[in-house]
Amino acid sequence: MTNRYHPHVLVLPEDDANSRLANGFILGLDQSVLARIQVLPEVGGWRAVLDTFEVDLVARMDRFTQGYLVLLIDFDGEDGRLDDVKRRIPERLSDRVFILGAWTEPEALKRAGLGSYETIGAALANDCRYGTDTSWSHALLQHNADEIHRLRQHVRPILF
Amino acid sequence: MRFEIEVELDGMTYEYGIAFELPERFKELRVLEEKLAVNGKPIYTREQAEVHLGAKQVQELTARELMIGAHFRIDWHLVALPIVQEQSQKDPLFVFKQWLARMLILRPIPQLIQGDSDHETLQPNAQVTDFAAWFAGLLALAPAAYSTIDDYLKRLMPDLKDIKNPVIGKDSRSLVVQFSANQGSPSILESLTVPFEDLSDGEKCFMICALVLAANDAYGPLFCFWDEPDNHLALPEVGHFVLALRKAFQRGGQFIATSHNPEAIRRFSDENTIVLHRRSHLEPTTARRLDEMQIEGDLVGALIRGDVEP
Repeated sequence: MTNRYHPHVLVLPEDDANSRLANGFILGLDQSVLARIQVLPEVGGWRAVLDTFEVDLVARMDRFTQGYLVLLIDFDGEDGRLDDVKRRIPERLSDRVFILGAWTEPEALKRAGLGSYETIGAALANDCRYGTDTSWSHALLQHNADEIHRLRQHVRPILF
Repeated sequence: MRFEIEVELDGMTYEYGIAFELPERFKELRVLEEKLAVNGKPIYTREQAEVHLGAKQVQELTARELMIGAHFRIDWHLVALPIVQEQSQKDPLFVFKQWLARMLILRPIPQLIQGDSDHETLQPNAQVTDFAAWFAGLLALAPAAYSTIDDYLKRLMPDLKDIKNPVIGKDSRSLVVQFSANQGSPSILESLTVPFEDLSDGEKCFMICALVLAANDAYGPLFCFWDEPDNHLALPEVGHFVLALRKAFQRGGQFIATSHNPEAIRRFSDENTIVLHRRSHLEPTTARRLDEMQIEGDLVGALIRGDVEP
């Protein structure tokens, strides 16, 4: 079980595909840190991610202050999606909540020949481990650059 | 009825196959054919009662055996694999048989698992009721395996101090698990010693998982099949448990689990999930990869609705 009183990361995926990306990311980590990250059940759409965040997770994050949260959503090619989501995140939690996802949808990453969701997730974890952008710089992922920069500052010491 | 298995060990591909038939008026199945090949070259082939040794095996036969011929007959109800004798521990036949023997087929029943042992083994039974003998056998083979066990368990149970296996009689030992208060955390007791059999069902499953990880490191690569590894676990543990096993087997070996648990199923993906389905008791079970099927909406929802049918 993730120790709620120690630094840990929760991932809230919007659907199966994002959940599998998260599986791959975790499989790219060391065995010794697996208990510090947990993927929550997928909720079915980016709006549902925000609803779940507000209803179930805001109070939890207030209570367990060592917890970080990654909202894994599809951007569906919408320029304003990131700002729409950020507006729903309370200011006091903004340093502990991160929004990541494929520019359109994860299926496009597969179609682009990056491999299975797990392969893509593991490659993204490798980038985080070594501070590279090999996979994160892909056209369908490069819009995450600012969030990845923030994530590296806060979450890297927990997972890498 | 035909069984086939293909495995890569030390860069060599082993292929074993056996087929049975039930001719008219027979009461028992008999072996129709059997074969073990390495990198495509047969170690032996067999048609009904006739076993033919491959070229390498023939080279190692004595002159007398060569006079008899590089083939022999066995009862056609017997499988040849355990009968054909290996020449050394480097013999591919030995390598394959040892891999088969060390395969882990696990269906633990924690309530039946005690901490006592009067022997050592590297081949636990399916219910893992001989856990203590497996623990003793693993540490006798590779004492350093204890650090893998300790690392894994302490991440799950930070108050674990150690596991001891003291002698309690002639040739018998009994496992005890010690817990100690973490520095700075308020606790009524400073330490607690628990006989292994008094651990909870979930804790016994953690112990088994720790041994699986350590065994794969110590004498793997292993094939591990675990029937419903999520049984007996608290909900927040399931995902970590499955991913820890998957992660450990990335370095070598193979892990297969069956499950009806949504959280366990979520920790696999379409390309490594096989859906088993049987329409009735009179029809065979069909198996199909999930990525070859069309699933509407999320997988767990479709499973709950009963809409996933190969």
